[in-house]
Amino acid sequence: MCLKLAPADVRQCPRCGSAMHVRKNDSIQRTLALLITACLLYIPANLYPVMYTDSLGSAEGTTIMGGVVLLINLGSAPVALVIFIFSVMVPSAKLMAMFYLVWSVQQQSSLDLRKRSTLYRITEFVGKWSMVDIFVVTILVALVQLGGILTIKPGIAALLFAGVVIITMIAAENFDSRLIWDNMEEKNSAN
Amino acid sequence: MGSDTACQSCDLLVSVAATKHGESASCPRCGCFLTRCYDDANHRVLAYSSAGLMFLLFASSYSFLSLSRSGVENKITLLQTPAALWSYGMPEVGALVAAFIIVIPATVLAMMAALCILINQGRYHSWLVPLAKGIFLGQHWSMVEVFIIAVIVALVKIAAMATVVIGISFWAYAAFTVCFTLAVSSLDRYQCWERIEALKAQ
Repeated sequence: MCLKLAPADVRQCPRCGSAMHVRKNDSIQRTLALLITACLLYIPANLYPVMYTDSLGSAEGTTIMGGVVLLINLGSAPVALVIFIFSVMVPSAKLMAMFYLVWSVQQQSSLDLRKRSTLYRITEFVGKWSMVDIFVVTILVALVQLGGILTIKPGIAALLFAGVVIITMIAAENFDSRLIWDNMEEKNSAN
Repeated sequence: MGSDTACQSCDLLVSVAATKHGESASCPRCGCFLTRCYDDANHRVLAYSSAGLMFLLFASSYSFLSLSRSGVENKITLLQTPAALWSYGMPEVGALVAAFIIVIPATVLAMMAALCILINQGRYHSWLVPLAKGIFLGQHWSMVEVFIIAVIVALVKIAAMATVVIGISFWAYAAFTVCFTLAVSSLDRYQCWERIEALKAQ
């Protein structure tokens, strides 16, 4: 927590009082459990509408991908690209990257250590940017309330997708990147 | 300055004690950022965080965005934005959004300002440790810059359907985002804990 070095047998940090562990507890199990939860939530999050547009009495649901298509049709391809990257590519790429990291640690692989470390840092950094779509829905729901002319209501997928983003963030936090490097040290000392 | 530190990412022991004003250090093995040293970090953080809090106050007191079509107008403030989700049957998402864009960033900034004031007094205070822990935990969960991008995306989405006017609050919130980011990047975790420990040892 506070980057203080202490002997491995000390239970509590002398500087900030946090509980101390050599590695995070049950890192792999927790990360894997959270990743599977996120995968399960990710399916309905993409199938159900994230918001309903009610224009002059006719209601219409839009899914996350539907929103991207709508933006392209409106002629704003750059914004469509932003939404596509953050809401479609980042969450799925992140899930795959985390599964790969967990798998490679389980395999005790000692290849591409630096690359995998960088991959983990990117995954950790990019996580919160997936919330963009949730915030967009929030703003639209609050702003677009023009009585019968045009109203936007939130859909169930907003809740599910927010769940996916937060759970993958917690999963990334639970993963201990030092495990990637532990294998190398063990192999070096074995030689 | 104290002894070595262990890289958070790969646990390599590195000596960063010799880092001087304006220099930064990263891990030689995995490339992970370790620390950046500014002698005047405390003043910087205090300035940015108090400015940020004031901008947030402005941002929450005026109109954020307004929308009109066929003579019907709807004006919202910053606080009404997550509240709308609440009233449409999604209190969970509303609460999360409110936490990520207002509550957590505001708390982190207030804690940063308090921490700097206490450190500037030059004496050890029992609040320093919980404040620092809270700051470094909360930083991870604030999403102010994500929200700014989301506002821009939302504007593009509805510009085709109705007329949107950007209120003064939006600009205040943008300034708040800048101050928040500067404050967070000026407060270095390693240096901050070293300073707290130095005060404790006195």
